[in-house]
Amino acid sequence: MSELKIDYAQLLETNSMIQQNADETYWLCATRTVQESKIFPVSAYILYSYLNCWYRYPSLLRKMEAQMSAEEIGDRARLAGTKILAWTIPCFYLLGREMLINWGVNKPTDGIEDLVYVMDFWKRYQLSWHRNDGNLTNRMGGHRAQIMPEQRLQVFHADAYECRDGDALHTAAQGFMATVAQYGFLVSCESRLTSHNHGPYKISDTREMLVRDYRELSEADVPWLDDVGRDIPYNNLTVTMTIEGCHINLLDDWGSFESEPELKAEHIVAVGLYSADYLSEGHVPVGMASKQELTETFNDLTARLKVATAKLWEQMTAWTRDQQLEAGALTYFAVAKELAHIAGTYEHDDWMMMDERAERFQPLLNDEYGNMFLGELVGYITCPSQIMHEYTMMQHTGLPRRALSYIPYSVLGDESYVAGVGGMRPGSTTLGAKADRYRTSRGVLTLDEYNQLSREFVPQACQEKFRFLCGDWVKYHADTAVADELFGIEQQHSRKLKGKGAGLSRADVEALRDKE
Amino acid sequence: MSKLYVDSDKYGYQCEFPISEAYNAGIKDLVRKHLSASGEAWENFVFGSEYGVLTRQTMQALEDELLGLGYTFEPSAMSSSRERPEAYKDSGLFATDFSFEDPDAPTAAVDEDGRELRGAGDNVVTHDTNLSGTARYVRTIDTVLECLSSGVAADTIAIVDDSGGTLTAPVLEKFHGVLCAGGTTRSHLAILTREYNIPCLMNAKLSGIKDGDSLEVEVSARAKTAEDYGAERDVVARVWRRA
Repeated sequence: MSELKIDYAQLLETNSMIQQNADETYWLCATRTVQESKIFPVSAYILYSYLNCWYRYPSLLRKMEAQMSAEEIGDRARLAGTKILAWTIPCFYLLGREMLINWGVNKPTDGIEDLVYVMDFWKRYQLSWHRNDGNLTNRMGGHRAQIMPEQRLQVFHADAYECRDGDALHTAAQGFMATVAQYGFLVSCESRLTSHNHGPYKISDTREMLVRDYRELSEADVPWLDDVGRDIPYNNLTVTMTIEGCHINLLDDWGSFESEPELKAEHIVAVGLYSADYLSEGHVPVGMASKQELTETFNDLTARLKVATAKLWEQMTAWTRDQQLEAGALTYFAVAKELAHIAGTYEHDDWMMMDERAERFQPLLNDEYGNMFLGELVGYITCPSQIMHEYTMMQHTGLPRRALSYIPYSVLGDESYVAGVGGMRPGSTTLGAKADRYRTSRGVLTLDEYNQLSREFVPQACQEKFRFLCGDWVKYHADTAVADELFGIEQQHSRKLKGKGAGLSRADVEALRDKE
Repeated sequence: MSKLYVDSDKYGYQCEFPISEAYNAGIKDLVRKHLSASGEAWENFVFGSEYGVLTRQTMQALEDELLGLGYTFEPSAMSSSRERPEAYKDSGLFATDFSFEDPDAPTAAVDEDGRELRGAGDNVVTHDTNLSGTARYVRTIDTVLECLSSGVAADTIAIVDDSGGTLTAPVLEKFHGVLCAGGTTRSHLAILTREYNIPCLMNAKLSGIKDGDSLEVEVSARAKTAEDYGAERDVVARVWRRA
């Protein structure tokens, strides 16, 4: 036992965050069911990943924070976009804990200083990511994610090209989004971690915009894209998709959305294409000089992605089960590596290895146990640790259950506890070596170069002069030169708004748009 | 025998599914035995000596014990049963003349339009008209390879087992429609068919449909939403076989 550094208020807050994630875990999983695949042992790899998260996240998040605070990392993520982290960081980690509690290997009182830290990191990161809408999660915002500031939304609004169902641009954009989503599920081993959406953002009384991020498409961290991804010229792509006559009424913390009426191709009326990473000055237009160039760019990317999809499918179907299991587990576990890239602390051995503490349990993870135990953990909520006293009524089901265990408050009294899981331990992989090639907005870099640039680079919007100039400041200072400078950062690559400054209204922006 | 912290659980007793409980109880037993034999304090065991007790070998022994009783696992991934046929049940994926025979599939005699009801599912997107096409089971990597080498007939309605989007990745866009025996309208396969504008039913409960059957799928029915799932509302689209 170490000297307890946590207090009652922290425990109250930590347990509250655990509960929020518990409720959302059930809802998210119940509306989708477990994803099965004939290629990947999905449930088994999910369980495997949870264990790696439990053992490694405390060390790896602290390693990031030694370089950059969680809230500053959140600023950078908000600027460039990122993968799905709202639900994944806390829930992967907490579900690893839940597994071990149900195995009798950990008590709810074990690793609690780590747990408080991981949840606090997540909270600070999330609040920063959600700075413009003031929520901790999409769930708290009524399943909505208004992440971006006005100055970027104005550029996306202004520069989007009109398209209509059946025309060349519409067909090209639709084909691209379908193909990249397909490729993304494969890259992420049957998970949705390559794709992310945020919004909706209001464009007019009848129009809304979704921002759709596709991340890690090229040579990057996962070894299975070393060859497959080489001809994909961008690691990240963002499609701005404006819809008309259709309201996005739900956008959850897995980035999935629903609409009323249901979204169909005919509702898409304008699109744009960008790329952003943690070394770029925000979103840089891709093929946006003309409508024709954008159409051709979408078609070219689609063709490249189809070739990559076929190659990757061939590679993955030839893998052994151990490799499929491990690739899936690493995909889940390593979603938080995005933040290590922001901080410049990414190391291959940290993120692309199964920790020996997790790896020892691998023989348990056959398909049937994987499906059943995961089903109990996140779907049925029937593991012993999840059963509560009979007066309890769980959100959504009314049953006496709780998906994730709290930290008992008794640790503030005389109940013994263990502070943390300990530092990093060796890991292993069956997936082969990773080429030292990382595609970024600065070209293909070695990892050392990438980390060095990440540590040195401070995007203009994150520099001291602008960092705290938020939407509330703009509201009262739009007529100042500093506000024009702030908007100018986003407008520097804009076809329509370059040099227009901070004073434009949404109607002004609409008036400047190409009408065809 | 030592008593574990979780052995004093007032509310929870054991997992629902026998295999969950078999493994979880086996691990707990290893911990109890070690603590009894060693007399070790929990604080020394957890994140410490446990790494010498709960090893890959002891975990493998748990599986060996179960398999030694004649148990075999239900397979999910094709690689599982392919690599360890002795440990997994026959997947049945390569059965010839296969058809899903879901006991919950609604069925009815041939109606006045010559349609025989053979199932129903959750509609992903409402289309203007129903879908007509020819059934083809796409259940294995081998079938996907065959589709790649020999092509896919233009009116193919693929019938697949799982709600994932990876098995059919290289050929999905070639399908005229999809019937998936699992998942929901928010599953990966549903997301992809929506993006590709391919009519699709998820969670399809089917009976008696064979490769080559002519089908009509009621994709003009209302799409099933998250709200419907939350309220456990039955919102179905039907599948008919045509003579």
